[in-house]
Amino acid sequence: MTDLREDRQLPVDVTLADGDIAREATALDATWRDSSGFWGWLSAVDHKTIAKRYIVTAFLMFVAGGIEAALMRLQLARPENTLIGPDRYNQLFTTHGTTMMFLFAVPMMTAMGLYLVPLMIGSRSIAFPRLNAFGFWTYFVGVVFLYVSLFLNMGPDTGWFAYVPLSGPAYSPGHRVDVWAQLVTFTEIAALCGAVNIIVTVFKMRAPGMSLNRIPLFVWAQLVVAFMIVFAMPAVATGSTLMLATDRAVNMHWFNPAEGGDALLWQHIFWFFGHPEVYIIFLPALGMVTPIVETFCRRKVFGYTAIVMANITTAFFAFGLWVHHMFATPIPELGQGLFTAASMVIAVPTGLQIFCWIATMWGGRPRLTVPMLFVLGFLFTFINGGITGVMLSSVAFDRQAHDTFFVVAHLHYVLIGGGLMPLFGAFYFWFPKFTGRLLKESWGKLHFWLFLIGTNVTFFPMHILGLEGMPRRIYTYLEPNGWGTLNLVATIGAAIIALSVLTFIINAVTSWLHGEIAGDNPWDASGLEWATISPPPSYNFVYPIVVRSLHPLWEATVELAVMTGLRADRKEVLITTTFDARPDSRHGAPESSLWPLYVALCMGLVFIGSIFSPYFVLGGIAVAMFGLFWWGWESTSDVEREIVALPDGTVVERI
Amino acid sequence: MKPLRPVADLSQLPSVTFGPRSLMWWGTLGFMTIEGWTTALLVGSYLYLRQNFGTWPPLRTAYPSLLLPSINLALMLISIFPAWMVARAGKRLDTAGVKRWLVITSVVSLPILVLRWWELWALNTRWDTTAYGSAVWTIVGFHTSLLLLDVLDTFGLTLFFFLKKLPVKSFSDAADNTFYWYFTVGVWIPIFLIVYVGPRVV
Repeated sequence: MTDLREDRQLPVDVTLADGDIAREATALDATWRDSSGFWGWLSAVDHKTIAKRYIVTAFLMFVAGGIEAALMRLQLARPENTLIGPDRYNQLFTTHGTTMMFLFAVPMMTAMGLYLVPLMIGSRSIAFPRLNAFGFWTYFVGVVFLYVSLFLNMGPDTGWFAYVPLSGPAYSPGHRVDVWAQLVTFTEIAALCGAVNIIVTVFKMRAPGMSLNRIPLFVWAQLVVAFMIVFAMPAVATGSTLMLATDRAVNMHWFNPAEGGDALLWQHIFWFFGHPEVYIIFLPALGMVTPIVETFCRRKVFGYTAIVMANITTAFFAFGLWVHHMFATPIPELGQGLFTAASMVIAVPTGLQIFCWIATMWGGRPRLTVPMLFVLGFLFTFINGGITGVMLSSVAFDRQAHDTFFVVAHLHYVLIGGGLMPLFGAFYFWFPKFTGRLLKESWGKLHFWLFLIGTNVTFFPMHILGLEGMPRRIYTYLEPNGWGTLNLVATIGAAIIALSVLTFIINAVTSWLHGEIAGDNPWDASGLEWATISPPPSYNFVYPIVVRSLHPLWEATVELAVMTGLRADRKEVLITTTFDARPDSRHGAPESSLWPLYVALCMGLVFIGSIFSPYFVLGGIAVAMFGLFWWGWESTSDVEREIVALPDGTVVERI
Repeated sequence: MKPLRPVADLSQLPSVTFGPRSLMWWGTLGFMTIEGWTTALLVGSYLYLRQNFGTWPPLRTAYPSLLLPSINLALMLISIFPAWMVARAGKRLDTAGVKRWLVITSVVSLPILVLRWWELWALNTRWDTTAYGSAVWTIVGFHTSLLLLDVLDTFGLTLFFFLKKLPVKSFSDAADNTFYWYFTVGVWIPIFLIVYVGPRVV
């Protein structure tokens, strides 16, 4: 974008007057603001509103999953405990895993992207706001469905990966597994809507000048993850909706060996999704680390290109090591060797990123604010989990540790260290942007230390329990096993984690209501999201900002170059070219609408109803068609004179 | 906030574009990727299950009929022409042309959908007989859902063009509908070869 000045038709030495900017902002707000009132609330399409709903709902799911974990820890605190029976325990660990993976981690990471990506790339909106709203409502129907089922004693009980034949019609009659299979469908649809939205937004809606080498690393991570979702989620949707649910509902034989089906096919399909899923949670978290490290070390990140390449490499490898979850099945030795090697190799790009952050800190002057503490906590906790991961990639060791608490320890170190720690850091970092207020540092530090200690007290003993042979997913154990003390320690750790999360909730609620006013850029950070007011207005930016470096706010010390001419009386976004982000066209953005909610409810009817009768599928689709018709009708109501760029290169005006 | 210096005016940029310059084209491509990949996973699973059988189709299961699927494949390939004409007219902002060719595409797509129903039965097995039956019914059934979606989208677009004055971007939408139609037909070709022809050849 060095030649932008050639396009300029405006005086060189004039900056926009405050009064003009304020008038433009008022007009834009009138155009972009979602309708008010109850129906307005239901029909909102602003990406920030939708993302906040995702964040709040996903956080409630985190709390729900945490309560389930706490109940399990109470049950296991001493041998032969009778607090929870085996049937309820099965439902608890299944719902805990399902909630944390499908209803908390992925939606939360996606939601952070849906909020921040348009702001970070300087766009007024996301590519498909109505699709985004539809995705949220679909997810929300799934949330309600799972928890209503759980309270009706219909909660799934075959583990978060629902292995056949246990989850098949022969061994799991009733509807518990159906609930799991259809819940997965809801979350997959939501994740895919979010992924397509993020890909198109990043490809086509970046601020002028934000060429590929100027895309913030968080946005790169979200882009890479969106591609991973596009290729991973269809696998589990295929497995759960098209195979498991049909085996159960209409007597198909995908997994029935008596008729040529194959139980291992499920494991392949599930883990082809399930392993990338870990990176779908983990890569956005790594994307959150970079701006935090840069901001609090006052130094541009070391090895930008290397980190981008590491993200892409990790995504590729992530699809090539699913079989390491299946080492206890009869996999050919060559396959075992290959997948062991792949599982070890993936540590390389991740290690490379870690070294880049250490190098950034090394050359900077780190300020130990709460976000930065969480980054350090991430490094410590995640590296421990990563190392046990390398241990587990060895077939010989995996066979010993398979299905024991060692694996539980490993996966929690990885997911809490690699996902939750950066996420909490990110909350502290971007909370001022979300709400306009700062979280309290003192409470934040208490939260951090309690969380770090609680995590290690809970999960470190599980390594030893696993090595001593304690299996996963057992509701109790006998006194002579000698596992009582370490289990009690782990339960005490869980209580510390609960206390730390409570500290965070109190901090978040009180700060949201009465916290210190943050201002536009309280950390003096470099990304475009800090160039607008906090919280951002409905239209995000008054004018598209011209980007000339990777750190636009650090480079533009005096003033910001912007482009004018997008209409304020109509929702318009700027479309730029995919590689160089040169201004290409203006594109209309849709008004708020109730139809995404309506269609999501119809999809709820289809998927929930399908458990009981196939006629619900036909009926649900029929009523959904009505909604889709009006969705389309509304989308084609804005008839105005347009400047049309025809594919043959000519430009004409036409109503 | 720092002072803002305007460096370019965007008001004369086009507000309607076609193909890769428009958001909807990219969104369509995204969902085509997802649906194409789902089809590939189903076909992969079909081939995986093949290992469990000595013969394919399994013993006492007839080959899927070739006649009806071949006729339908021919119809699908023919339907590409009116669909292409819709896109061509759309890219020329030719309302009459878009209307005409949308109607023709809709008319051609109907027998494809009807034949598909018989085509499912021409698989000569049921979904609940063997894993082979489950696989072929799911693959063809999944493609049927894509086909149904596209036909309904075409019907809806045709209705809109006749019922109301549409914004200019609808011409771009019509071209994207054609883009999706190519995908629906295109993805059927490997399915046809693998499910209907494959067992006879291999």
